[in-house]
Amino acid sequence: MASGRDVRDMLGLPAAAGGGDAPKAVGAAPNQKRPKPAAGSRKIRTSGTSYVFPWELVKRSRLTLIRPEGVAREVAALYGERPPPVAVYEEKKAYRAKRQSTGPAKKWIQQPFTNPVRADGLVLKHWRRKPTMAPPVQETEDASMQEGDTTDTYIESCADFAKYDIKVYMPTFTDEEYAAYLRSDDWSREETDYLLEVVRDYSYRWAVIWDRYDYAPRQHAPETANSEDQALASMPFAPSKNRSVEDLKARFYDISAKLMKQRIPEVQMDADQYSTYEMLTKFDPVMERNRKMLATALINRTMDEVKEEEFLLTELQRINMAANRLDAEREELRSRLDAPPQNQSVSAGLQAFTSSQALQALFQQLFQQDRSKKRASGGNTGPGRLSLSANDMVHTPGSAQQQLSAANRRQSMAQQPTAQTPVKQLSPHQEHRFNVSTHDRLTSGVTFGSDKLLKMRQAKSNVQTQKIGNMLATLGVSEVISIPTSKVGEVFETLVTKISRLLDVRKVREKEEGECKVLLAMKERRSGGGGGGGNAGDETRPKQEIPDSQETPDADAPGEEEEEDEDDVNKNYGDDAEGEVDENDNPDEPGDDAEGEEDEGGFNGEEMDDDGDVDAEGEDESSKQQSRATSQGVGTGQGHKRSASVFSQGSAQSSKRVRK
Amino acid sequence: MNIPNPSTAPAAGEYAGDEVSAIVLDPGYSTIRAGFAGEDVPKSVCPSFYGQSDSGEYHFGENAIHAPVGGLDIKNYWGADGIVEDWDTAAKLWEYAITTRLTGARPGDPSRNGLNDGNANGENMDVEMEGLENNEKPLDDSPLLVTEPGWNSAKAREKYIEIAMEDWGTPAFFLQKTGVLAAFASGKASGIIIDVGASHTSVTPVLDGMVLRKGVQNSPLAGNFVSDQIRTSFKQSTPEIPLTPHYLIKAKFPVDAGAPSQATYREFKTPPTDSFRLNEEERILTEFKESVVEVWPGPGRFNNGTNEELAKNTPGRPYEMPDGWNQVFGPERFRVAEGLFDASAALPSDTAPAPKPEQTIPRLVQAAIQQVDADQRPMLLSNIVVTGGSTLLYKFSERLNYEINAIYPSTRNKLIAPGSVVERKYAAWIGGSILASLGSFHQLWISKKEYEEHGAGIVEKRCR
Ligand SMILES: Nc1ncnc2c1ncn2[C@@H]1O[C@H](COP(=O)(O)OP(=O)(O)OP(=O)(O)O)[C@@H](O)[C@H]1O
Ligand SMILES: [Mg+2]
Repeated sequence: MASGRDVRDMLGLPAAAGGGDAPKAVGAAPNQKRPKPAAGSRKIRTSGTSYVFPWELVKRSRLTLIRPEGVAREVAALYGERPPPVAVYEEKKAYRAKRQSTGPAKKWIQQPFTNPVRADGLVLKHWRRKPTMAPPVQETEDASMQEGDTTDTYIESCADFAKYDIKVYMPTFTDEEYAAYLRSDDWSREETDYLLEVVRDYSYRWAVIWDRYDYAPRQHAPETANSEDQALASMPFAPSKNRSVEDLKARFYDISAKLMKQRIPEVQMDADQYSTYEMLTKFDPVMERNRKMLATALINRTMDEVKEEEFLLTELQRINMAANRLDAEREELRSRLDAPPQNQSVSAGLQAFTSSQALQALFQQLFQQDRSKKRASGGNTGPGRLSLSANDMVHTPGSAQQQLSAANRRQSMAQQPTAQTPVKQLSPHQEHRFNVSTHDRLTSGVTFGSDKLLKMRQAKSNVQTQKIGNMLATLGVSEVISIPTSKVGEVFETLVTKISRLLDVRKVREKEEGECKVLLAMKERRSGGGGGGGNAGDETRPKQEIPDSQETPDADAPGEEEEEDEDDVNKNYGDDAEGEVDENDNPDEPGDDAEGEEDEGGFNGEEMDDDGDVDAEGEDESSKQQSRATSQGVGTGQGHKRSASVFSQGSAQSSKRVRK
Repeated sequence: MNIPNPSTAPAAGEYAGDEVSAIVLDPGYSTIRAGFAGEDVPKSVCPSFYGQSDSGEYHFGENAIHAPVGGLDIKNYWGADGIVEDWDTAAKLWEYAITTRLTGARPGDPSRNGLNDGNANGENMDVEMEGLENNEKPLDDSPLLVTEPGWNSAKAREKYIEIAMEDWGTPAFFLQKTGVLAAFASGKASGIIIDVGASHTSVTPVLDGMVLRKGVQNSPLAGNFVSDQIRTSFKQSTPEIPLTPHYLIKAKFPVDAGAPSQATYREFKTPPTDSFRLNEEERILTEFKESVVEVWPGPGRFNNGTNEELAKNTPGRPYEMPDGWNQVFGPERFRVAEGLFDASAALPSDTAPAPKPEQTIPRLVQAAIQQVDADQRPMLLSNIVVTGGSTLLYKFSERLNYEINAIYPSTRNKLIAPGSVVERKYAAWIGGSILASLGSFHQLWISKKEYEEHGAGIVEKRCR
């Protein structure tokens, strides 16, 4: 059984409660229906249960020890032995503090009062605290008064609600003013007065004013009409008109504006006043009426019209959304082509390296790291290109970025192949028309068709290049081809191929001719100047035979025809060709060089002999080649594979040259 | 923090409340509601029907009019146009409603309270009359706020103030339209109020607490119309459904659905009058409306062909008459209320004229809106307050919502239909209770002095 202290604790009674109270509380506790909340006690543990069994008290006294304040007993019981470390509970669930009792109940009386706003002095009664300072003698008097309700009761003046008595501002005018400015053919003086009265009564609520506006001059004058008005009203005056809100407004605004102008001249009005004045004068009843007609039409639309509008609106929204999406896609495409995408983390990281110094610093840092790593791991870098070399140093931040963005691009392209629109099959005609070409393999980056053409003009040696240039000039092919489409490129390529073959053939011919001359001279010398009439057939035969033996077997018929076609061209350049014969004298070429050239691509096997001659000329040529490769960046589109990094290729080439 | 609850007093100045022990009286065709302003329900709800015995004696109150006494005529003081017709009885009945539950019967004035009318010609009465002038009148202390229908005539309005001031001696008086008060009860100062009561349905556009008079519409298609439709439906059904009120039944025995009732009936020496029986039948019909009748919720009218089929597939609702007769009501339970929305669907009744299409609720709303300034229409349509006992018909609000959206598809239409029955039935009274307990209302009362100065015509000026 709980001790008296427990119970007191449970009921939240102050321990130091009066001696008389405590035992009473203990005795009452088990049967108390609704224990009184204790005042100022920190633990209020009472509950609303109707009956408390003695054995429960024991259980509860234990529970109360751990029960946090503000949690229902039932909920607290669910916690079990281990209450949660943090209990969340609503503050307001806590019992309210007991009301402080400070003596006997306050007395309330029905206090008569008047409202100062009322002119008639209506006395109403409301409940008020009885004034406390009243001496007890008066109290008895009050009691008697309440019964007798005599008239000498104190009447309070209650102005609490006088502020709600709002009078609207109304324009006022004298008879003279009316006569001078406000006369109207449409409005009688009486109706004008009536209008103003109604406006005041309904405080400018025009919808109500119009609703209640009922001016009937003959039938009955308005209630407030004085005798004079009545006299006027009985006179045959304008019949009652059916006024619209706009009519009423127009008249009222007109009066207001005119009076306003009369009171304050326009020039003296301040901004507020002037804007009001302007508003009043600018009121256009016709426009208002039209606007309302439109509004009415809008409200009275049928279901079908509304549905149609809804449909159109959703359609518009759909189109707008599609347009937005399209714009976004386009934007993305553009950014892919031009600059690194703005929203990628990589590019965000790159922002710091847009200046060359920063890039340099980064490179140095990476280079150092790489070196130290290599030293530590014994230089085993694996198949990937994980190490940096000095050659990788990029001199322009722009190109570095380009390279990185190219990488990004490739990445993003690889990431979303499915997002692409399905490939549309084009007919050959269309392909031609739209200049679409398909490639098994695309090299990265962007190249210019003109670069490709330019490269084709270049031969291994300066002399050869010059010769090709001359030839093209003779053919009327301009230096710069304005629209170097891929087709033009193809044609140009075949042309250049043919030119170089022609040059080859001409060289061989000149050689043969030279030989023939020598042999003829020797023959003449041998025969001792006899039989000078040399046969032409002899001359031409070896020429024809020798190329057959020397040229590769795949030399085809068209090539020969062309040779003959352009014979006269050869003759024009006769002196040139002769000068070259000397250079061509080195017959044996280092094979490996030819192979290297072939790797680089650009010319086919037939040219190789020719190229070989020039190669020995010097390193300036190869360095030129390297720079060209750097600027061109990519392969020539002849199907040759090229590594992604132009720079590494350039370096490989140069190293090869050096090796040679 | 003090979270407000019903027992915490609002902070001073929190609302402009200042109660002056005003009494609010909301007389309707079916019941009279009276109570003190500031309370949330009327303390006194007493039937508007009263009994008058052959001797001319009045019987007021629920108990009196339902006692099956012979020779008691049950009457109502309202006219067919929804305006009080029998003013004398109205005044007596209202006074009864106020004094029995609110102020308590005052001593004196026995000639006026109707209680002594039976023996009013006794000698001793005349003696007492001498001292009457000093006697208290029933409402000497209490200002009175009375509600009136929106289409009340100017003469009727003057009658109200005359009764209040002269018969009851109220110090202050005010008259307000039920529509405005119902809007106040929903916390709206503007809106369009659809009140479907017993005798009349009214549609009242209200702007800033003022009725737009041109827009006020009323029609007789309300609770009584539905009752009449139910009677017709019972009569038309084969076999005819018997309508036997409680007071005739002594004992009833359970029977199968649709089977004739097996009940023993009560015998009366002087049988109650027909009007008594009608009133008792009305009680059954109200019960029937409460538990069986359903409004077709839309979409579409009930008899558009397909909806009736749909209704047949919904489970019916059973009802048992006082004599034990019972049946499950199928689609016919929709038909009896359909006339409120679709005049052509009303059952042809032999007691009431067929409803006209312009009397249906959707048409009333349309007509009311038509009479309002175009600028206010969307605002009104977004504050449609639904009130009156007959709007408690099952699915009424759904149908109303459908109908209004069908008429005005392009505006934002919002129905405000309080969920609680009390708020729906007593909305006008509750609004009056709010209004009369406001401190700002002090200056609007028409005082006795003003009445004496200006006469009864002052209501027209002050209670707009
Ligand atoms: N739950 C309910 N379902 C259907 N109808 C009901 C329900 N409760 C009451 N009614 C009907 O409502 C009507 C009473 O409504 P209300 O008290 O609003 O009318 P009133 O204000 O007295 O009449 P009026 O407004 O016409 O003067 C009665 O016809 C009654 O049958
Ligand atoms: Mg009503």
